[in-house]
Amino acid sequence: MMSIDHDILVWFSKSFGLFYLIALSIGVLVYAYWPSNKKSFDQAAQAILVDDDKPYRG
Amino acid sequence: MFGFHYRLERKAIGLVLAIIGVASIGGIVEIAPLFTIHQTVEDAPDMRVYTPLELAGRNIYIREGCYACHSQMIRTLRDEVERYGPYSLAVESKYDHPMLWGSKRTGPDIARLGGKYSDDWHVAHLNNPRDVVPESVMPAYRFLSRAELRTDDLSNHLKAQRRVGVPYSDDMIANAAADAYGQAAPDSPQAEGVAKRYGKATNIRAFDGKPKDLTEMDALVAYLQILGRLTDAAYKPMASAEK
Amino acid sequence: MVAQLTKNERQIALVILLVMAAVGLAMAAGGRNDPFGVHGALVMVVAILGMFGVISGYYAPEPPEDRLDSYYDAPSKFGIIAAMIWAVIGMFVGDWVAWLLAYPDWTFDAAWASFGRLRPVHTSGVIFGFGGNALIATSFYVMQRTTRARMPDQLSPWFVLLGYNLFCVIAATGYLMGVTQSKEYAEPEWYADIWLVIVWVTYFVLYMRTLARRKEPHIYVSNWYYLAFILVVAMLHIVNNLAVPIAWGSAKSYSLFAGVQDAMTEWWYGHNAVAFFLTSGFLGMLYYYMPKRAQRPIYSYRMSIISFWGITFFYMWAGSHHLHYTALPQWVQSLGMTFSVMLLIPSWVSAGNALMTLNGAWHRVRDDAVLRFMMVAAVFYGLSTFEGSFMAIRPVNSLSHYTDWTVGHVHAGALGWVAMITFGAIYASVPWLWKRQAMYSAKLVEAHFWLALAGTVIYVFAMWNSGIIQGLMWRTYNESGTLAYSFTDSLIAMHPYYVARAIGGLLFLLGAVVGCYNIWMTIRTAPSAAPETAADRPVLGGAVLQPGE
Repeated sequence: MMSIDHDILVWFSKSFGLFYLIALSIGVLVYAYWPSNKKSFDQAAQAILVDDDKPYRG
Repeated sequence: MFGFHYRLERKAIGLVLAIIGVASIGGIVEIAPLFTIHQTVEDAPDMRVYTPLELAGRNIYIREGCYACHSQMIRTLRDEVERYGPYSLAVESKYDHPMLWGSKRTGPDIARLGGKYSDDWHVAHLNNPRDVVPESVMPAYRFLSRAELRTDDLSNHLKAQRRVGVPYSDDMIANAAADAYGQAAPDSPQAEGVAKRYGKATNIRAFDGKPKDLTEMDALVAYLQILGRLTDAAYKPMASAEK
Repeated sequence: MVAQLTKNERQIALVILLVMAAVGLAMAAGGRNDPFGVHGALVMVVAILGMFGVISGYYAPEPPEDRLDSYYDAPSKFGIIAAMIWAVIGMFVGDWVAWLLAYPDWTFDAAWASFGRLRPVHTSGVIFGFGGNALIATSFYVMQRTTRARMPDQLSPWFVLLGYNLFCVIAATGYLMGVTQSKEYAEPEWYADIWLVIVWVTYFVLYMRTLARRKEPHIYVSNWYYLAFILVVAMLHIVNNLAVPIAWGSAKSYSLFAGVQDAMTEWWYGHNAVAFFLTSGFLGMLYYYMPKRAQRPIYSYRMSIISFWGITFFYMWAGSHHLHYTALPQWVQSLGMTFSVMLLIPSWVSAGNALMTLNGAWHRVRDDAVLRFMMVAAVFYGLSTFEGSFMAIRPVNSLSHYTDWTVGHVHAGALGWVAMITFGAIYASVPWLWKRQAMYSAKLVEAHFWLALAGTVIYVFAMWNSGIIQGLMWRTYNESGTLAYSFTDSLIAMHPYYVARAIGGLLFLLGAVVGCYNIWMTIRTAPSAAPETAADRPVLGGAVLQPGE
């Protein structure tokens, strides 16, 4: 009984990890290449170069 | 305006949760099965716990950072087994809180050091390693012979060890200080109790050669002499392979 | 400093210090016969001195309302100075222990001066003292700029920085007294660990509060890396340090884990400390300071996101490569090896992204030693991540593990990557923070760069040689089928490399000392940058002229 617990855990670790890896990779790639995200990425990359060394106060 | 800020905060919290999720699952998947590993590993019924003196010696080993240069983990490689002895088994460190497997061999592995050299050799070596190994780069630990061993808190040590899972009995806890003294003073009345509580095979000797004083040298040498000797389990698979 | 706090914050500071003084007193009383009591007294003295400081400034006028028109940079200034002080302490002790391995009798027969007690002073001093202070200081700077929001209050950044440095002091003095858990890179004992959790939670809350006030809807990628650093280090720290103290009033505790579980937990911690302390946080630094200094946006923002999730995901599985061929189950070892090799992808994506950012700015790299520090850091990052993946392969590891090769690898990362990017970021931000036109001396920055590079190369080559020789000698058989060399034979072969390593380390230390002098002189003497807005513009290498000027 007790050794079944260990086997189940090991089986879960070995199988689940692969699916998790694939799912996460797809998710990240989709997010990074989602067309509507491009604008905000470009903006963010440029924004740090702006020479306005003051916090925004709106 | 409320909606805008709400979205912003949600985004930041979402990022935090995603980081925690992505980062923690790997660790859980990898480590969780190890907590059931004792179900698959052969047990060692002859395994005994450290005596209070050996535990005190182990704490000196930790205090002086010996683990930074000496490993206690012989890998399953031919040259290591031939150089140091049978490879280390998981069960051998099951009472080691924390483990001292080490990560670097500036000096040699000492997982099977116990019984390899005499007490005198260890004392001389710790006092000045270069007296016995001229090429050694180990620091000299002369101050260990000068330092009296602190025993008043040994019961607390054993109690804390029991709390994390080491099977110390009430009797062992109550007599921790006396047992530490007795183990290094073979002719004293306290010596008998050590053998009674920890087994006849326990080393009961004046480790530093001076039965009257209980020094840190006694404790450390007692610990070094028990390394790899808490169980015979590691020698069994080799013996059966030879048959 | 007290003048920058509001009345309300001064009161809270007093309460915090009062509680600390009381806790310190209780620790000192409870641990009369123990190093624990020494640390209690230390906490008490520090808290009382702090109270004097706050009280003496208590009736100073409150900071003007227009403070909200600028970023709060005083804590960053403190953090950078603290980082440089710890750099010199940590590297000095590191070089000292390096000499001890060549000449072991230089210990004055004192317990505190032996290798085993000094080594953690070195590792904690450079990782937590130097690296940690630099990370906190730059993260404060970067999070405010990238969110265009000032930190929400003046007290919590000081609590984080001063509290963190108190942790570092307790850790370092503890090692000298023999207080250690023996868990590598997690040596501080239970009470220091608890204190760090309090500091760290404050740090996290401060970061989140600033993010919540941001003007930009998108969170700039540097903040992702800094956040991962804060969050995952908290996770690792708490789990790996679970322990039972033997008594109130004693510094000693016993780890909750034993044997193989403890080994796995420790190296899950140890490897991810490399990942999230020494990589993630410093990548956050790189993604801000390098584009800023090169005056070019990051080459591919998408790649920085992809590699972020790659690093956050893959590293967590890789820790078991520290335990190849040990009593750890083989499937865990294989898993660790596989993920370690896959780690190369996000690592090289990051390194490549950094180097591609410099395309079109190579003339600046040539003329500006500050940017060159960052460029070399990216190169060493690529090199040492490749080496790391390589060493995680089981047969390679059978040779490299337990040898100086590992030490060489760690220092390729620590000196070549972490320290170089930090020096680059510090040299960039000192003129910005203190509103100077440039560093006091561009020549001294140049000198520091070459000292650091030479020191790193000497160090790493010495350790590669000694490590591989050591590994080969241990496994060489002679014709009769027995081991050819005793352990002592390998020890004799190491001596010249140990001397070379100590010399390399000395050069690196000298570079850091030069850096301290240069920073000090910049703060003291260099002329102020005239217009306020110019302060945020990277000022290129002092007197060095640009091509075409």
